[in-house]
Amino acid sequence: MKITALLVLKCAPETSDPVILANASDVSHFGYFQRSSVKEFVVFVGRTVASRTPPSQRQSVQHEEYKVHAYNRNGLCAVGFMDDHYPVRSAFSLLNQVLDEYQKSFGEAWRSAKEDSSQPWPYLTEALNKFQDPAEADKLLKIQRELDETKIILHKTIDSVLARGEKLDSLVEKSSDLSMASQMFYKQAKKTNSCCTIL
Amino acid sequence: MSVRHGQSSYRDRTGEFFSIVESLRRSIAISPATNNVPYSERREDLNKRSEFTKRARSIGLAISQTSQKLSKLAKLAKRTSVFDDPTQEIQELTVVIKQEISALNTALLDLQVFRSSQNDEGNNSRDKTTHSATVVDDLKYRLMDTTKEFKDVLTMRTENMKVHENRRQLFSSNASKESTNPFVRQRPLAAKAAASESAPLPWANASSSSSSQLVPWKQGEAESSPLLQQSQQQQQQQQQQMVPLQDTYMQSRAEALHNVESTIHELSNIFAQLATMVSQQGEIAIRIDQNMEDTLANVEGAQSQLARYLNSISSNRWLMMKIFFVLIAFLMIFLFFVA
Repeated sequence: MKITALLVLKCAPETSDPVILANASDVSHFGYFQRSSVKEFVVFVGRTVASRTPPSQRQSVQHEEYKVHAYNRNGLCAVGFMDDHYPVRSAFSLLNQVLDEYQKSFGEAWRSAKEDSSQPWPYLTEALNKFQDPAEADKLLKIQRELDETKIILHKTIDSVLARGEKLDSLVEKSSDLSMASQMFYKQAKKTNSCCTIL
Repeated sequence: MSVRHGQSSYRDRTGEFFSIVESLRRSIAISPATNNVPYSERREDLNKRSEFTKRARSIGLAISQTSQKLSKLAKLAKRTSVFDDPTQEIQELTVVIKQEISALNTALLDLQVFRSSQNDEGNNSRDKTTHSATVVDDLKYRLMDTTKEFKDVLTMRTENMKVHENRRQLFSSNASKESTNPFVRQRPLAAKAAASESAPLPWANASSSSSSQLVPWKQGEAESSPLLQQSQQQQQQQQQQMVPLQDTYMQSRAEALHNVESTIHELSNIFAQLATMVSQQGEIAIRIDQNMEDTLANVEGAQSQLARYLNSISSNRWLMMKIFFVLIAFLMIFLFFVA
């Protein structure tokens, strides 16, 4: 479950090409010579998909072995390249977060951008690394996972409580036997004490 | 006399029993007139007793049938290969066995109630009560063993399915998306079933853990529904339909929330069960404490008695010597008078 790239673009109206505002990609698993071509590919496909995503819509496209998820929000577009295993919901929640963060840090400055900005945005690279695990991006998934772990732990607890119950049952039997035996002991002692005063 | 836990041993004395019956019948044949009335009463009693034995016999038969089916299920579960998976049969068989086990539970409870009503109304001898108690306990333990085996078979089946999923992952990369988290996404099918399962089995501690094992088994069943949903989503994405995609996105979020909520409900159920069990065991612990206190008091009393006895023994020697002196004095006087 891997994210290969995250892009933020400005989606102008349908005619012109989208402008790349931030780009973060993880091409470490490709060979050295393929890296630049993969980056180009990412840029090109990202632009195409973003230009074809109508505003306020989400879209997912299958391209070769990647799923490209795009979310267009009022002209600001976030595109993510993930593999097939990445859950779709987490992908879109991640894109949401990226967009919010971008708007928080850059305000409305992006609307005036006319050409691709080449400055790396550290948040994006950090996000790329952090959200390789979809549970981080999607709180619901994280909660579900934790709840399932808790349930397993609780099942184990119930098993051990049952074992404890069995042990307690055996203990109660033994202790009742003990009390019976000690009572007999007491009676015997009293008997030997009471009858032999003469002798 | 309390019935011991564990295996109840019995000796087969049917031969002796039959000889006694023969001798009694002969004695009854000699004096038929006086014994008519008690004979009819005995008949009634016999009927009631045979009702009990009939029920017990049917329960035992059902238990043996269920264990046979269970062994078949175990064979099926062991046999499954990756491609030739008789899931349908296994599930049908499991459902049938579960129904039978719950039916047997209710029948056994009825038998217990019947027996206690018999004990209350009739003038049963001590042997009758112990016999019926032994029979009921034997059936109970047999049913508990069957349930334990059932639980083991289910765990084995889930492990097999896990192994199959792993193998399928190795061979086909397409299906692996759906199968990476086979036990993460679950439907709350098992919660109600688990709760109702433990309710009719209050007497068998081990079998309520079968409910906990049923939950991971039901997860295997619930794989199919998230599978269908995710494949649906994939198809829709590939067709690039906008509005359904929005819907599926929202729907999947809503569904995930529902899952979370149901999981939390299950967790609350489990906690409630845990609390009841612990409170019951707390009462048992208090009883143990009382028993130990009684034992301590008894032992202390006995020790003081023995100490007093020891004192009296050791101090009594003076009295004994005085008595002997008096005796010797009498002897002397005797001797004086005689000789």
